[in-house]
Amino acid sequence: MDQLSSSLAPPRTSHKSPAATTPLEGAGSVTKRLGNELMTLMMSSSAGISAFPKSDANLFEWVGTIEGVSGTVYSGLTFKISITFPPNYPYVPPTIKFDTPCYHPNVDLAGNICLDILQDKWSAVYSVHTVLLSLQSLLGEPNNASPLNTDAANLWDSPSEFKTELRKHYRASTENSN
Amino acid sequence: MTTYPLENLVQTRWQNTFDRLNGGEPGITGLLNISQAWNTAREFLRPRDIREPNSKERNLPVVKTCFDALNEAKLLPRLLETFVEDIRQQESLITAEVSSFMAKYDESEDVTVVKSMLRRLVEWWKAWAPIHELGYTLLSTFNLEFQTHLFSILPSSFPSAFKKLCQSTVGAEPDAQLWGDFERLGLLDRYENLIASVCYEQIEGQVLETCVGRWNEPMLAGLRGWMADKIVPWMILPYARGAKTHEETRSMLQGIGSRFDFHVCKTLCDLRTSEIFDIIVDYPDSNCALLDLKECLQRVDQRSQLVQALRRLNRKRLLHPGADTKDILTQYVLMIRCLRIIDPPGVLLYKVADPVRRYLRERPDTIRSIVASLVGEGGDLVDENEPIQPLQTQFEDYSDPNWEPEAIDAGPEFRTNKPSDVISTLVSIYDSKDLFVKELQVLLAQRLLAIKDGNFEKERQNIEILKLRFGDAALQVCEVMLRDMTDSRRIDQHVQSQKASNLHPTIISKHFWPALQASTLNMPGQFKTIQQTYAKEFTTFKPDKRLRWLPHLGTVELSIELQDRTVEVEVSPLDAAIIELFGSGGKTAWNSQEIIAELGDIDNSSLNKAMMTWIDRGVLFDRGDGTYEVLEIATSAVKAARPPAPKRPAAQPEAPPVVTVQQQEAEQMRVYWKFIEGMLTNLGSLPLDRIQTMLKFAPGYSRTIEQLGTFMEAARREGLVTESGGQYRLNK
Repeated sequence: MDQLSSSLAPPRTSHKSPAATTPLEGAGSVTKRLGNELMTLMMSSSAGISAFPKSDANLFEWVGTIEGVSGTVYSGLTFKISITFPPNYPYVPPTIKFDTPCYHPNVDLAGNICLDILQDKWSAVYSVHTVLLSLQSLLGEPNNASPLNTDAANLWDSPSEFKTELRKHYRASTENSN
Repeated sequence: MTTYPLENLVQTRWQNTFDRLNGGEPGITGLLNISQAWNTAREFLRPRDIREPNSKERNLPVVKTCFDALNEAKLLPRLLETFVEDIRQQESLITAEVSSFMAKYDESEDVTVVKSMLRRLVEWWKAWAPIHELGYTLLSTFNLEFQTHLFSILPSSFPSAFKKLCQSTVGAEPDAQLWGDFERLGLLDRYENLIASVCYEQIEGQVLETCVGRWNEPMLAGLRGWMADKIVPWMILPYARGAKTHEETRSMLQGIGSRFDFHVCKTLCDLRTSEIFDIIVDYPDSNCALLDLKECLQRVDQRSQLVQALRRLNRKRLLHPGADTKDILTQYVLMIRCLRIIDPPGVLLYKVADPVRRYLRERPDTIRSIVASLVGEGGDLVDENEPIQPLQTQFEDYSDPNWEPEAIDAGPEFRTNKPSDVISTLVSIYDSKDLFVKELQVLLAQRLLAIKDGNFEKERQNIEILKLRFGDAALQVCEVMLRDMTDSRRIDQHVQSQKASNLHPTIISKHFWPALQASTLNMPGQFKTIQQTYAKEFTTFKPDKRLRWLPHLGTVELSIELQDRTVEVEVSPLDAAIIELFGSGGKTAWNSQEIIAELGDIDNSSLNKAMMTWIDRGVLFDRGDGTYEVLEIATSAVKAARPPAPKRPAAQPEAPPVVTVQQQEAEQMRVYWKFIEGMLTNLGSLPLDRIQTMLKFAPGYSRTIEQLGTFMEAARREGLVTESGGQYRLNK
């Protein structure tokens, strides 16, 4: 397991060990796991990250909120993301997209994210909580080696210009979309 | 030219008429005969003033021939008209009589005046009435004319006078003549309602007189007996005068009789309906009244009135803040029993109980009251004789041979609850029995912790009974609690056998007990040593377990040796801890701050209370500068200086040691707030009902939307959220 991502894994989460379930157990166990993750997320008090199911009918579609950490160029900005869980979660990572336009080296203009733990480095011990934390830190520390947005990657080293470009792209979410 | 046919026509008609009147007699003798007959007939019929001597010749055969002649000549209709004319001319005579009688009555209010007036009127009628032999038409025309006139001249005071007259006949000797007069004058038909109302009033009077407030004996049978004795004989005259045989009387009275019987039922039903609340309060003494009411309701369809009345009375007298929850429950239970008597299927109960149940649901101490009565703590909600039944959702048993369809006024939500007993009904006030089980645990915890002599049999018995109701699974936790108590004793015996100790702890499994009050009390001095020694012994006995002390619960028996005396007391651990401070070490004077620093975080009021306990017992005294010292030698001076403090029960913790369900709920609500915060952060603003449905993600969420609304309102007041147009959003 990768050094970086394993450090992000929760030491021992309260919910059921995912190793005990098999993919064949069906949606019931996935719902249970998602419910547990929601509970853990709600009870954790990590500043600036949050997520909640979009509607009470579907536990597989969540909306998340990430606030930029102060001290980074994203400070003071709030980003909405959408999280879609596959039916065989947690063996397959959730699909995460930025809904708020995010000018970032590892986020393309459609909001797709390039983050190793959301692709090949995914592990079933990760949870929404850890993913959100990773995304929050990704904002401040992009992986410029594999950019999705090359312009942003090139601008990264000149913070003031990057900030101007970021402000140009950023649109505060209209909260009353629902 | 044109006049000829007309002239001819007139002439033909004239001839025909003449022939008819003349009857084919020679000359005009026929006409003369007719004229003679006319005069005789008219004179015979002419209404006379009966005050004049009667000179009417009753030469019937002559009159008869006259009439026949007139009939032949087809003059009878004409004669009738003339007769009516004549009557009209004479009517003023009657008018004068009636007004003089009525004037007399108005003065004296004496019904005999009315009676004699009617008598007189009948005389007039008899004098004027044409004889039967002259045919029915004549008589009925006369009757109509006479009555029309009579009714037109009777003054407005007559109906009430007539009613009084009728009333005076009730219970008196039957006066057949009077009723005959009534009929002759057409008063029976015209004032039928009045006559009936006389009877109704009699019934109402009787019911009010005999039945108000008397619920301990059946009334309906007595009333029916009274009807048979008093009213039925009277009824024969107005309603069954013409009857010749007993059978005929019966059949004629049947219709009106059942009307009156209905009225008896209705009056009694109205009365009992208005008294229903007190009847219920009086149950079971009022059983007879309920049975009466049941029978009346079968006859009179007033079920909805009963429901409304009882609901109104409940609202007015029961469901208000002034009523004790226990009283409401008692009344509700009585209501269940009473309405079961009136209406076994329970439709009435269902309708009446709904507001009561809803109200009880809002009361915070309802569950506690019910649970308290379940375990036999005061209150007699539970009927000992009632068989204990398990709580189960009831299904309709269609294979039941005694199955009956739902009553016609049962609403769509009505569910029969035939087999359920009172407790099941009470428990079903709440949607789930979990609340009860929880409250039961809290109560059991309190009771178990209060037991000192180690006799848990009663509690065990209670739990066994409750198991029958709630099922084994629900009471598993209570089982564990009970076992903890017995285990504690066993463990204690073992530990004592290893190393004798003054400490006898109750060892409980944290997981299965309701939350107990936390405390930061540190027992000082020898208590600490005792605790530690005991804990060590315990760990040797049960290596995988660890003792966590709740030192503030329990009692301490102390014997304090002072210079001149020994004080034996049983006090709370806090009291003991304080006195230990004074006794150990060299420091003799302590102030509050020092005590708090030594013993941990104690709030001031409980500290003051503890100090007062010791001062009351004459062990400590206040030096006046906020510090306390041990009173080694009891001096009368100090005692006199201290005003006699009110005796307080020592060593009694005021608050029960167990955290109540409400406190637990408040704790849970904090969890739900996290969820609300989470959803509002991510989904923007949400209406209340969306929040409610979204909260299903929170484990164990079971609040109603009203409770949530109250909570959100509180959050809004605290400035956590803002609300506009029913949408809540986080306040940033």
